[in-house]
Amino acid sequence: MSVDFLHPGEGVVIDKDVPALELRGIDKRFPGVVALDNVDFTLEPGKIHALMGENGAGKSTLIKIMAGVYGKDAGTIRLRGREVDIKSPRDSLKEGIKVVFQEIALISEFTVAENIFLEGYPTGRAGSIDWKKIRADSAALFNRIGFNVDPAARTGSLPVSQQQMVEIARALAHEARVVVMDEPTSSLTPNEVSLLFTVIQRLASLGIAVVYVSHKLDEVFEIADTVTVLRDGRHISTKPIGEHTSDTLIQDMIGRRIDNLFPRQRGAAGSKVALSVEKLSTAKKLDDVSFEARAGEVLGFFGLMGAGRTELAKAIVGYDPIISGKITVDGSRLAPHDTRTGVRLGIGLLTEDRKSEGLMGELPVYQNASLASLGAFARLGFVDKAKEHRAVQDYVDRFRIKTPSLFQQVKNLSGGNQQKVLISRWLMRGLKVIVVDEPTRGIDVGAKSEIFALIDRLAGEGLAVVMMTSEMPELLGLSDRIAVMCEGRLTAIMSRDEATQENILNAAIG
Amino acid sequence: MSELTHATAPKRFIGGQLLGSSQLVLGVILAALCIAISIAAPQFYSEANIIAILRQCALVLIVASGMTMLIITAEVDLSVGASLAFVGCIGMAVLNSTHSLTLGMLAALAFAGGVGLFNGLVVTRLRVNSLIATIGTMMMLQGGVYLFTREAVQNHNQLASFTDLGAGYVGAVPVPVILAALIFVVAYVTLRFTTLGRYLYAVGANEKAVRLSGLRSERLKLFAFVVTGLCVGVAGMILSSLMNAGQPTAGRGFELTVIAAVILGGTSLLGGRGSLFGTLLGVLVLKVIDNGIIILGWNQDLQMVVPGVVIILATYLDIIRNRANVR
Repeated sequence: MSVDFLHPGEGVVIDKDVPALELRGIDKRFPGVVALDNVDFTLEPGKIHALMGENGAGKSTLIKIMAGVYGKDAGTIRLRGREVDIKSPRDSLKEGIKVVFQEIALISEFTVAENIFLEGYPTGRAGSIDWKKIRADSAALFNRIGFNVDPAARTGSLPVSQQQMVEIARALAHEARVVVMDEPTSSLTPNEVSLLFTVIQRLASLGIAVVYVSHKLDEVFEIADTVTVLRDGRHISTKPIGEHTSDTLIQDMIGRRIDNLFPRQRGAAGSKVALSVEKLSTAKKLDDVSFEARAGEVLGFFGLMGAGRTELAKAIVGYDPIISGKITVDGSRLAPHDTRTGVRLGIGLLTEDRKSEGLMGELPVYQNASLASLGAFARLGFVDKAKEHRAVQDYVDRFRIKTPSLFQQVKNLSGGNQQKVLISRWLMRGLKVIVVDEPTRGIDVGAKSEIFALIDRLAGEGLAVVMMTSEMPELLGLSDRIAVMCEGRLTAIMSRDEATQENILNAAIG
Repeated sequence: MSELTHATAPKRFIGGQLLGSSQLVLGVILAALCIAISIAAPQFYSEANIIAILRQCALVLIVASGMTMLIITAEVDLSVGASLAFVGCIGMAVLNSTHSLTLGMLAALAFAGGVGLFNGLVVTRLRVNSLIATIGTMMMLQGGVYLFTREAVQNHNQLASFTDLGAGYVGAVPVPVILAALIFVVAYVTLRFTTLGRYLYAVGANEKAVRLSGLRSERLKLFAFVVTGLCVGVAGMILSSLMNAGQPTAGRGFELTVIAAVILGGTSLLGGRGSLFGTLLGVLVLKVIDNGIIILGWNQDLQMVVPGVVIILATYLDIIRNRANVR
């Protein structure tokens, strides 16, 4: 097939009746686990097909089979009606399937243009690489997807959103008929997301079948034509998006109904100030931030990417240094400004980055849970393990942490259960103020409501909860008061009753 | 849920703690080595030879006890070999001028502990990677010892108590073996049963999480560096007693033997994982190999080659075993 790769969809006639890609009866087993069980998945050319499911549902396994990263154990793969055997990522790319993984697979030291033509540089006379052509062709490709990236830029210096565009351009350079986007928006700003959506729609209009893997319901409703839901390795449903509501989609994903995502059990907040922050500034981000949080309330902080929520969270618990300002926890000043003092006064951070700042993945559940309170289980420096295990077991039971035993390495737990272990770590220590940063990031829909209920319970038990979030439903569903940040400054504080999506977003823009 | 917990807990205690991980592989290797060598050379099992092996193990085990703690915190100290030689010279010089074993010993501990403190401060305050920082220290010490003395510091006093440190016996057991056993037990109990030990594992497993929990992660690392240094102090004095002199050339490659034993014992260079029991097995395997090569009359250069092969093999077997255990 000789097609000018700069103009896919124009050189060939795309037969709308023949599926771009058809997977039938796909099985995949790993030792002890059935990852995929007789899964069918059909992609139409020019359509955007969302692939949804909780963690462990089999989404990644399925796209890794398409990408040639895993081999299938049974089933057939047909590309435009022709059965193909995909044995390696190279085969997959050759057949016109391009998967853009979350962890972008570009060589960061190379230029954009070099990355695009990585698999085959056009050569000029005497076999030397034709750099001029590479740059020109790259620019032409970006032009086609309606996005501009400097082909001569060093790839590593670009933000993730632009690196994704480079991957998409690469797909076009390979005449891809199928482009798979794996959770593409997880680290994008709202602006970048809307740009990405424009580009994805452009791909579809070129006749390319797009697979859009995501957790996020609102995105799927915005962009997808069709939705396939997997659960526990099985195909659950494939429907046009018009036949779904959020409720039916969630129900397909978790296999049961969730009546109320935000059950409020707690009473009204108290009036006692548990945390007071005055004129807080940091070298990099925060600029003169002042607020108070009361015992028994959830104070939600909203802001767009880069607004400074995580920076604020880390500064008020004493983790990151501040240049000026005063933090008072339960009447005592946080000085010296370090986490040791912070924890002693009763303020702690539930980090957004569980893996690198929260969990000790190699260590067992019980050691993760007791880390902050180990002193309470020790006499003369020796740990009373029986006492420690009883205390941890108590939390495992109360929070229904699903783990085969206290000795399980915590890295083997699901995101929701890991989060519960980390919440236990703080509750075992006993806090006055807990700062939770993106508490449901990377957590399944089903487990989210449990985390929400836990946060509600924390406030109900009299803690001041300071919650950083970028999820509007979470913010509105849990908070008593809402604070909004923009570029390191606090731009609004309002009660839940005053808050609307509109005035929150206005304050977030600045 | 709680039934599950109790069902799996005992299994872990019986099989898991002692022989669960790489220790099982290593125990088998050790047994196989002992059997093979004693078939080929029956004198391997003589009392004299066993005591000789233990004495050989003592120096390595003393330093490896500290090094295990340090590697568990995800740091490493490559300067222990160079420090060992320097410590011997300093201890001997102080001994010569003060006629006091106590002062000589204190000087050695102060110097070696100081080296550990220096390493620790460079790593935790200046944030220099410990591999690089301690290579730097190693070079400083290797050159520095010649600024201190061009040749071996001879033993002028011949204090009996000093000679006993390396060559003495209590009953049938050599003094260095007793010292090594003491240090090993203290380190073992610390790592296994105390909050301090748990924090050392924690800081290696995730330093940021430890800091967020209100603990001083830098101090924990500093502690492990200083302990490693102090262990070198003890080992350095034993070595100079054995050689009856402070030798500036002693200790070449000693750091590799120590680290090899620790790694062989299943302690992860990434931190957070490892055990002193494994280190003990690691030391025994390396020293039984040494001894076997001598007893069998093989080329002595194999003393470096064979352990190299064993380390790669043991680590590979460990990876295979881990893979089989997934799920």
